[in-house]
Amino acid sequence: MAPRKCPDVIAFTSPYLWYTTRATGMVTLVLFTLVVALGTLVSNRIGGTIVGRFELNEFHRSISIVAMIFLLIHVLTTIADSYVSTGIISIIVPMTSQFKRVGVAVGAIGFDLIVAVWVSSLMKSRIENRSWRFIHWFSWLAFIAAIVHAYMTGTDTKNTAGILLVIVCSLVVIGSALWRYAARPARASGRTALSPLATSDTPSKDSPTTRAFPSDAQEPLGRERK
Amino acid sequence: MIDANVLPRVLHGTSRRPLTLVQHEEAFASHERVTSIFDELEASGLTGRGGAAFPTARKVRLLREQHGRSKYVVVNAMEGEPASHKEVSLLASNPHLVLDGAEYLAAMIGAERIDVCVARDNPAAINHLNQAIHERERSTKREAQIQLHTPPKRYVAGEESALVHWLNDNESLPQYRSTRPTVLKIGRAPALVDNAETCANVGLIGRYGARWFRGLGTQQSPGTALVSVTGALAHPTVLEVALGTPLRMILAAASADSDPQALLLGGYGGSWLGAAHLDVAYDNEALNPLGAAVGAGVIVVLPRRGCGILETQRVVRWMANESARQCGPCAFGLPALSSDLAQLTRVMGDTTAAHQRLIERCDSIDGRGACHHPDGVVRLVRSALRVFGPDLDQHINRRPCAGSTSPTHYVPVPSLEREEELQWQ
Amino acid sequence: MAVRRRTGGFVLKVNPILCDGYGHCHELAPELVEMDEWGYPIIVSTPTPYTNLAALESARYAVRGCPRQALRIERVVDQTSPGA
Repeated sequence: MAPRKCPDVIAFTSPYLWYTTRATGMVTLVLFTLVVALGTLVSNRIGGTIVGRFELNEFHRSISIVAMIFLLIHVLTTIADSYVSTGIISIIVPMTSQFKRVGVAVGAIGFDLIVAVWVSSLMKSRIENRSWRFIHWFSWLAFIAAIVHAYMTGTDTKNTAGILLVIVCSLVVIGSALWRYAARPARASGRTALSPLATSDTPSKDSPTTRAFPSDAQEPLGRERK
Repeated sequence: MIDANVLPRVLHGTSRRPLTLVQHEEAFASHERVTSIFDELEASGLTGRGGAAFPTARKVRLLREQHGRSKYVVVNAMEGEPASHKEVSLLASNPHLVLDGAEYLAAMIGAERIDVCVARDNPAAINHLNQAIHERERSTKREAQIQLHTPPKRYVAGEESALVHWLNDNESLPQYRSTRPTVLKIGRAPALVDNAETCANVGLIGRYGARWFRGLGTQQSPGTALVSVTGALAHPTVLEVALGTPLRMILAAASADSDPQALLLGGYGGSWLGAAHLDVAYDNEALNPLGAAVGAGVIVVLPRRGCGILETQRVVRWMANESARQCGPCAFGLPALSSDLAQLTRVMGDTTAAHQRLIERCDSIDGRGACHHPDGVVRLVRSALRVFGPDLDQHINRRPCAGSTSPTHYVPVPSLEREEELQWQ
Repeated sequence: MAVRRRTGGFVLKVNPILCDGYGHCHELAPELVEMDEWGYPIIVSTPTPYTNLAALESARYAVRGCPRQALRIERVVDQTSPGA
């Protein structure tokens, strides 16, 4: 259990490293599930009465910091542990790990994506909003990668508790995704200018929908427009 | 040589076909040598004929002061206003005058390229321009290269920032400018955007000078303007009038209804003017105090048997559909105005509440878009509430006028296009 | 929060194209931003003097908190002497 010094190679391992990797892995998954759920609440304009919208946004940002910290610990303990050979490079370059190549690769992909999301969010005021949003969409993909990685690499996903955790997190995120789409707000640029949302309170016969426009009634007699 | 106080100027010498370069040079021969065109432009007091009436010389001066290896001149012949046909008429009669003006502007700011933009649904105008450009290429060597562009036909596509956006990124969407005036850029090159009729007038000033130009018009609004008259008259007409001419004379020249109920001036983003003011001069000094403006040179004549509320509702509905849908107040507000107006026109539901909502929404929407599209609609609605006050009261009290149910309409509003059919690229 | 006293005032300016009606600005700077019936901000157009520290702080929070980065604080150079 003590660190063994070899002539050329520093080998360092301990079961506690491994436990930390596993534990932080699970915590990271739970935290990111929370982050995604909060992000969905922000996108769907929840809040304003009991809890403020900006508060949910701040919550989303704060939890993501904690989640990143746990993710970092998870990653560092993995590469520090030489019991299984995953080099430093394998956390960012997929398919370079000796141990559980595919599983770690998927984790690496997820890590790359979430780092991109993280860095772009840190620089949010400096980059164009369009670019930030484009990168932010990849957080969904990063989560999928995390789930697959958990299933493929995870030690604890072999037992019931672990599987349950992964399933619950997946359900929360899938639910968030579905609700994100179903309850999406009517946006100006979503070409919903003439949606019923925009008409007056009393329903009028002239309730235009985006489906069809009756062409305007008879134009003036015999006149050409030009 | 045209006499200083003779009409027409811009439409001089035209017949059924556009003037060729040779005919153009003959018709507009000048024996005067204009030394500094920019000085003449400043002295002339020419203002933009696209609607904003911004002093042209000031715009040119702003562009001259810009640093840039390359600069462009953009000729705006988009004519997004459905009730306006003056650009089309101008291009069908004398495209060379417009190109002359563009070349003078290019020389003044040091531009190497001229982009002429015509809406793509107009094959005749595109044809005339192409021919004119070819003729010029084949004749003398010109410094600035002229290119023809055809953005999509949308109301806001003729807005100058939308035009530049299209030239840059192929999207006819207006841009947000936090401070005005800002210089628009194509790539990194500053661009001078001017209306086609303005360019034609620059072409005249370049040949005949500022004193000649001021021979017609008033002191504050010198020169002539093209006016498209539609509505209660036999044929839609385009006239060239000296600014300051009484409205009544313009209507008579167009053989329009001599006893109309009201006039729509400026365009769909303009204002209504009541019949009591028919003797007012057609220039901004006289019209502005009455809440109206020359605008894009549009006059729509509404006869007594028409319904101003109905016509306004038709226009607002179309304008709502023409929103670029970039800004919330415009994308949601204009359709709301349209539906409130529909309630008032057809007398449905609580009309008093609809009237109240209309006023509140106008106050709410005004000035909150990136461009002035919603502002124009609000201006139109407010002027309608003012000018058609008595009729409005009747509608609110559930006694709508006969005109509101008549199938005959006087303001030429195009039919609406479905969401999916709207082209912005 | 370090504050430099300046003369003149500021206005919150919104880019209406970027704005998507999230409404965080209204929550963070209610004294400067009202909401219209569609959820879009109506911002007071009269400049707020820099001496109003609370408003300035709210404005800064609003700029930072906008999910679309649509807000900016613009300085208005005051011609008259700054009053209250």
